[in-house]
Amino acid sequence: MGRYHRPLALADALATLAGGPATVVAGGTDVFPARLGRPFAEDVLDITGITALKGIGLDGGWLRIGALATWSELAQAPLPPWLDGIRRAAREVGGVQIQNAGTVVGNLCNASPAADGVPSLLALDAEVELASSAGLRRIPVAEFVLGNRRTARRPEELATALLIPEPGPGARSSFEKLGARRYLVISIAMAAAVLEPAADGTVGRIRVAVGACGPVARRLPALEAALRGLPLGPDLAGTVTPAHLDGLSPIDDVRGTAEYRREAALVLVRRAIRTLTEQA
Amino acid sequence: MIAKPAIPDVLREPGPGIGKPLSRVDGPLKVTGQARYAAEFNVPGLVHGYIVSSTITKGRITRIDTAAALRRPGVLHVFTHENRPHVAWFDRKWKDEDAPSGSPFRPLYDDRIVHAMQPVALVVAETFEAAREGARLVQVEYEAEPHETDLAARRHEAFTPGKEKGGFEPPPKPRGDPDRALAEAAVKVDVEYVQPTEHHNPMEMHGSTVVYNDDGTLTVHDKTQGAPNSHSWVCSVFGLSKSAVRVISPFVGGAFGSGLRPQHQLFMAVMAALQLKRSVRVELSRPQMFTFGHRPPTIQRVALGAAPDGTLQAMIHEAVQESSQFENYVEIVVNWSGQQYRCDNVRLDYKLARLDVFTPLDMRAPGAATGVPAIEMAMDELAHALRMDPVELRLRNYTDRDPNQDKPFSSKELRACFAQGAERFGWSRRNPQPRSMREGRQLIGWGVASGVWDAMQGQADARATLGIDGHLVVASATADIGTGTYTVMSQIAAGTLGLPIGNVTFKLGDSALPMAPIEGGSWTVSSVGSAVLAACERVRGRLYKLAAKMEGAPLGKAKPADMVLTDGHVALAADPARRVPIAEVMRSGGVLAIEEEARSVPYYVKRAQHTLATHSAVFAEVRVDEDLGTVQVSRIVSAVAAGRIINPKTAGSQVMGGVVMGIGMALEEETFMDHGLGRYMNHDLAEYHVPVNADIGSIDVIFVDEHDEVVNPLGAKGVGEIGIVGVPAAIANAVFHATGVRVRELPITLDKVLAGLSRRSAA
Ligand SMILES: Cc1cc2nc3c(=O)[nH]c(=O)nc-3n(C[C@H](O)[C@H](O)[C@H](O)COP(=O)(O)OP(=O)(O)OC[C@H]3O[C@@H](n4cnc5c(N)ncnc54)[C@H](O)[C@@H]3O)c2cc1C
Repeated sequence: MGRYHRPLALADALATLAGGPATVVAGGTDVFPARLGRPFAEDVLDITGITALKGIGLDGGWLRIGALATWSELAQAPLPPWLDGIRRAAREVGGVQIQNAGTVVGNLCNASPAADGVPSLLALDAEVELASSAGLRRIPVAEFVLGNRRTARRPEELATALLIPEPGPGARSSFEKLGARRYLVISIAMAAAVLEPAADGTVGRIRVAVGACGPVARRLPALEAALRGLPLGPDLAGTVTPAHLDGLSPIDDVRGTAEYRREAALVLVRRAIRTLTEQA
Repeated sequence: MIAKPAIPDVLREPGPGIGKPLSRVDGPLKVTGQARYAAEFNVPGLVHGYIVSSTITKGRITRIDTAAALRRPGVLHVFTHENRPHVAWFDRKWKDEDAPSGSPFRPLYDDRIVHAMQPVALVVAETFEAAREGARLVQVEYEAEPHETDLAARRHEAFTPGKEKGGFEPPPKPRGDPDRALAEAAVKVDVEYVQPTEHHNPMEMHGSTVVYNDDGTLTVHDKTQGAPNSHSWVCSVFGLSKSAVRVISPFVGGAFGSGLRPQHQLFMAVMAALQLKRSVRVELSRPQMFTFGHRPPTIQRVALGAAPDGTLQAMIHEAVQESSQFENYVEIVVNWSGQQYRCDNVRLDYKLARLDVFTPLDMRAPGAATGVPAIEMAMDELAHALRMDPVELRLRNYTDRDPNQDKPFSSKELRACFAQGAERFGWSRRNPQPRSMREGRQLIGWGVASGVWDAMQGQADARATLGIDGHLVVASATADIGTGTYTVMSQIAAGTLGLPIGNVTFKLGDSALPMAPIEGGSWTVSSVGSAVLAACERVRGRLYKLAAKMEGAPLGKAKPADMVLTDGHVALAADPARRVPIAEVMRSGGVLAIEEEARSVPYYVKRAQHTLATHSAVFAEVRVDEDLGTVQVSRIVSAVAAGRIINPKTAGSQVMGGVVMGIGMALEEETFMDHGLGRYMNHDLAEYHVPVNADIGSIDVIFVDEHDEVVNPLGAKGVGEIGIVGVPAAIANAVFHATGVRVRELPITLDKVLAGLSRRSAA
């Protein structure tokens, strides 16, 4: 087994990473199950002592979700309605014990195709803040997740926060998850949508993303473009066609066939959009 | 020492305990964490074993290298087939109470590998962590051989087993000419149903803590459904005298059948303790919980033919089930079909296919939970073909005699189950047309099925000791696997002796106590409850005699037959105000304690003249998402006839648990086999789905009045298993009613429903 670091200051954590690679542990709910029966041969960096990484709050037009903010904290924080979608996701990640321990940032950094947080983060145009002893950088979530368990994080970097830009007035969001049972289940497919209505009662901007239907969750740009300018009403959801989901590449596995996933994704996207129109 | 069967007073006049919805007497111990389970007993110097599992499914071990493991600090010993101590040779020495015919599996016996993840070594170390690390360092080389684990591939090489296991009779001879009757029937269904492998998955994993005592004897804390079963198995396998071993198992964190046979960890822990002369604990990991018995996968054909009025004219029920290469596990899934319905032309056929898996093992309602859903889904298909109400079809073919054996039922209130269940559910408002109810995008369906399970009984002993302080201790070596045994036995004892329930202590789960059979088959109330009753009746008899001889004759010339026990007093039946405290009776007789032991023996003669069974009618409401195929069971009403209910609360919980498990069977539970590897792929609780709380809607349990004087002196049949039996079919039938889609392969997962819905709308 390698060394176990538990620094209290961010600078010390970054110094550790500068000194060589280490497995970062936040809530550990992804890290530990993946290692069942295998010891940690490498160094471990436990970031749970770094209080600077805690907290969720609005700051200068951005919502900041610290690297130690858990799903339960997100679900319970007093936040505006445009975050309803990701907060619904917060209540669908595992069970309550998992939500109490698991972090939003950990969910993203783990880069599972079925990570429930990622579609909402994509639809919210979220950015990841990465820190190293050389400094800070920010990259959009869409550029951060590169593939199954692969991210753009460099070994010497720590993800310190997620930053979500405040959308236009009247914005709202939704999230739909489908699993083989009602709760405590890995998603077969999920969809997230964020709407910024135009003043004339039509779709201003809409961002839609689908997860678990390919190695990474994806936005649906063709759909977003097609919806722009349409009236915000009960018929909006029905305008989504299978062709709008062409970018998805679902697979067959024990949780469902590719064909089933494609069909389910279409239904979930329509429901996510219907929820947005019903909230009006 | 054999008690004469007599109708006891408690039947005429239930005492304070019997029939009351008492909360579990062991509840506070459990919710405060004071109840200790097999792997929680700690002793100084305890060492830990970790099992190494094979990585091939079939073949031979060519080399085991334990050097690296032995170099690991803390590792004490690595047991393999090459260095294991001597164990029994004859097959019969390895048989336990629940063994089917064949050659039981022997851990670490030789170099043969006969199933995936077979235990091949045990690493024992000072700490659990060192043992687990050591296990990782054991290097095993194999010579693999081709395996077969696919039932479909072997179904045509299946053979007809004989009488391989107690409690499971081979199917009866065919009646009439079923093939011809089927061909000639006006209306028929002829379909195939497929059910998957399931694993018991109790919360508590199997563990054994073996305490090595100073005198060389062993105290074994084992997770088991029968301490005496583990005890005699250990003695027989290791050639130990009965007094050298004691098995204790006061609490069991669920089992569902997995504890009916001694499992690997018991062998491993005892072996290590004997050899190392140390106390040893071995606990299976969750994946290792998938390395022994399971509910076997099954393929069934059910063909039914009927006249236009619904009268059954032909019934063919054929099943092929998995067994291992080394034992003939049977659960004769077809017999209940011939027992439930009147029909003159019947063929029931049951076969086994040998596959390279571990021997299957009874899992809640073994056989019935597999075969009854098949016949009950087929009956629904027939009702639909007949355009007849499915309850009406079942009543049309109702039978008060068991057609398989041509015997009357000892009691059968299934008609009342249908009536009361239908009433509670609102069945009369059902539109028979599939897809006739919806709420938005949710299709709603109502389905029904009946259930049946055997009312068995075995011999059991119990000892009752009444102290002059009015405290009664009753003991029997039986188990409480979460079912409520502690509670109902206390109630029977309190009821018989007219004592407050708080004055009774029931002891169980200890091989040193009076003998009891394994807790399974829903027979514990029947077997052990009757023994408790008999022992307490003897104590009561002694009290009456003492009372009759009391100085000053406070009860006059009363004979024992004129007395009753109430409220801690011996009283005159005719004038209960004339009474004497029990303590005074005992004092005047000069006794400090009255101790009696009794054996209950089934009413063999009466029982042989009858068929004994519990019955149920289950009504289900499902909501199916038309777009996604998800199924939510919003409502279940289960009406059960099971004779006298000793405790409606614990019995209700048993049925409710059975319903939840039935929902799992219908919609979620399935162990996936990778036939290429011959291994189960989803061997953990993240991927092996059982229902979560959010999957469960309302569950309404009704106990129908049923009087039975044949089953046992208590008139109680047992309810541990009947709860699950009718549920899968009721749900499957409700899904059809909601959607018009028949899914004949369990579990009914969302993709199967959606595929059916798509096919339907394409057609
Ligand atoms: C029983 C169970 C159920 C689950 N159910 C779900 C579910 O329904 N949906 C779902 O999406 N997930 C589920 N998960 C997975 C997991 O709980 C979530 O992904 C969770 O958000 C992970 O957060 P964590 O803090 O525990 O991450 P950790 O396990 O601590 O880390 C996850 C990964 O991210 C890296 N990491 C963490 N923080 C940082 C950082 N600040 N900088 C750089 N790298 C970092 C780690 O090195 C690791 O690779 C489940 C897990 C379990 C055990």
